[in-house]
Amino acid sequence: MSVETESAERTTQRGFLARLRASPFLSDLLSNRLAVAGIALILGMVAIALYARLGAVFGIAPDLAALKQTKIGTNPSLAGPSLAHPFGTDLQARDIFARSLYGAWIAMKFGTITVGISTVAGVGLGIIAAYYGDITDNVIMRTMDVLLAFPSLLLALALVAIFPDELGLWRAVTALTLVYTPRFARVVRGAALKVLEDEYIDATVALGAADPRVLVRHVMPNCLAPITVQSTLNFGLAIIDLAALSFLGFGAGAGTPSWGLMLANGVDQGLLTGEWWWSFFPGLMLAITVLGFNLLGDGMRDALDPRMREAVD
Amino acid sequence: MVSKRFVLKRLLLLVPVLFGVATLVFAILHLSPGDPAKVIAGQRASQAQVEAVRQDLGLTRPIWVQYLDFLTDVLVLNLGESYIVQRGVPVLTVLRARLPVTLELAIFGQLIGILVGIPLGVISAVKQDTATDHFARVGALTGISMPIYWSGPLLILLFAQFLGVLPASGRIGSAFDVPVYTGLITLDSFVYGLTTGGWDAFASAASHMLLPAAVIGIYGTALISRMMRSSMLEVIRQDYMRTARAKGQGAKITVMKHGFQNALIPVITVIGIQFGTLLGGAVLTETVFGIGGIGTLLVQAIEVGDYPLVQGTVLVFAFLFTLVNLGVDLTYSYLDPRIDQ
Repeated sequence: MSVETESAERTTQRGFLARLRASPFLSDLLSNRLAVAGIALILGMVAIALYARLGAVFGIAPDLAALKQTKIGTNPSLAGPSLAHPFGTDLQARDIFARSLYGAWIAMKFGTITVGISTVAGVGLGIIAAYYGDITDNVIMRTMDVLLAFPSLLLALALVAIFPDELGLWRAVTALTLVYTPRFARVVRGAALKVLEDEYIDATVALGAADPRVLVRHVMPNCLAPITVQSTLNFGLAIIDLAALSFLGFGAGAGTPSWGLMLANGVDQGLLTGEWWWSFFPGLMLAITVLGFNLLGDGMRDALDPRMREAVD
Repeated sequence: MVSKRFVLKRLLLLVPVLFGVATLVFAILHLSPGDPAKVIAGQRASQAQVEAVRQDLGLTRPIWVQYLDFLTDVLVLNLGESYIVQRGVPVLTVLRARLPVTLELAIFGQLIGILVGIPLGVISAVKQDTATDHFARVGALTGISMPIYWSGPLLILLFAQFLGVLPASGRIGSAFDVPVYTGLITLDSFVYGLTTGGWDAFASAASHMLLPAAVIGIYGTALISRMMRSSMLEVIRQDYMRTARAKGQGAKITVMKHGFQNALIPVITVIGIQFGTLLGGAVLTETVFGIGGIGTLLVQAIEVGDYPLVQGTVLVFAFLFTLVNLGVDLTYSYLDPRIDQ
């Protein structure tokens, strides 16, 4: 008996991997050249981010303190792109190239935290709302409706005002987490409602599984696809919005090599005096990163949508 | 047709949302660390003076009294007075002067998005998987990946700095003094041109509008063309399309008459939803181009701690956004009567 159960369990495990490999989703995704390009861009940016962060630890790349430092040694101030400074230097004679590389770390780190927390919170709220229905559903979803009634950047701006300046990017993260959570909750609730109609859920409940087990082991894994797409697309948005808050002066603290803040300084002080590189390169890095997430997210959505799969005759 | 019941239901659903919006805004402002009484009384005010101001503002009353008071004020559209930015001026007056500026920007941006995005999406769908389609799709994805605060400065660099053909900031040349009728500067200067025959002001206003509208338009074009493409692709595969072709109708007429009209329905939703993004985008666009609309007003109000102004601006934005969404829902159910059943 126990041997049988064990082997059955192993089959399902192997089944899962085999299913994943054989799933039209993955093969569709990998045959989509744009999605693969997106993956390449994201991996490239992750590599840059890790290089900048770990390089700072091991002394290969400048650390945060060095990047924040003003007036470094003999560096020229506001020099255009050259071999020594591929992205030029800013007013404080800091190397924009090194700062832009570190900016990748900042964007990836805070983007991951923002999207991570809102995904977990949104998934939890969405599944609970769908499963318990009634009052629970109403209370959760009407609260989400209120949060969704604001244009997202404006709500983030209003929320940022609550927190003290010293929190820097963390207040932007907190504000954006509140702004993004409802989007996840709504998508997950919809997906969970569909899953809950399936018979295997009734079967699991009939077998005596407790609520948490049903939700975590059975409902959640079956909502994974829309959750992943939503996370990927929102990752790009999160990076744009985090930088936007920094750009408006409600994010990264002065001197931090975040793309948004570098852009703000470059636009404020360098745009009309001809120092185009000051804002151009940080913005380029930002746009490339976001493009990577959008390409991947778009490809995922197409791969999940069976209507997109069949070709038109 | 839209049934009266559906309209009524949607309107009733609006009540709790708007109530929630007002409550959230009240909560946000009361959680803010700054002390409005200190802000108003000024840096050098004595403790007694600050207390007097606090008493005056009613901030010493229990929080629930303040909350009920706030709700009744919102109901009668009394949003209080600005503390700092325009001291003593009712918030509603400040907003009324600034709102047209932002709306004008959003309208022109939206217009560019619709006029370029819809044809682009249709072409992309009809020529699915050709080079044209790939080019349009990558273009659209690039468009939404470029933050406004980067594409804006790039356009300024190109057209104002290097080519020198368009102005970098502002709404109209400083030499012009156009009387305000609507607050929409292009319209006002157009009327001015009609009445006086001097068209220089209109030319100046239009050239100032071009870059900021284009920045918002790039984003709109990208979103709309994407939606138009996928919606069109879905419609093209429907049976009635094949029937129309089988009956001998030409390919072009089928696409335009049966395909386009039906594919437009979801696109209208996107255009509506996009309005919110546009309003957010206007904050950034106004900052980049130095335009004094509601966006720059909000940033300024947050920076100096002008609470009633922050409160009023956010409320008005949220109400506008909610109303637009309602409009979209109603249009949608008008176009697709299955919705309200």
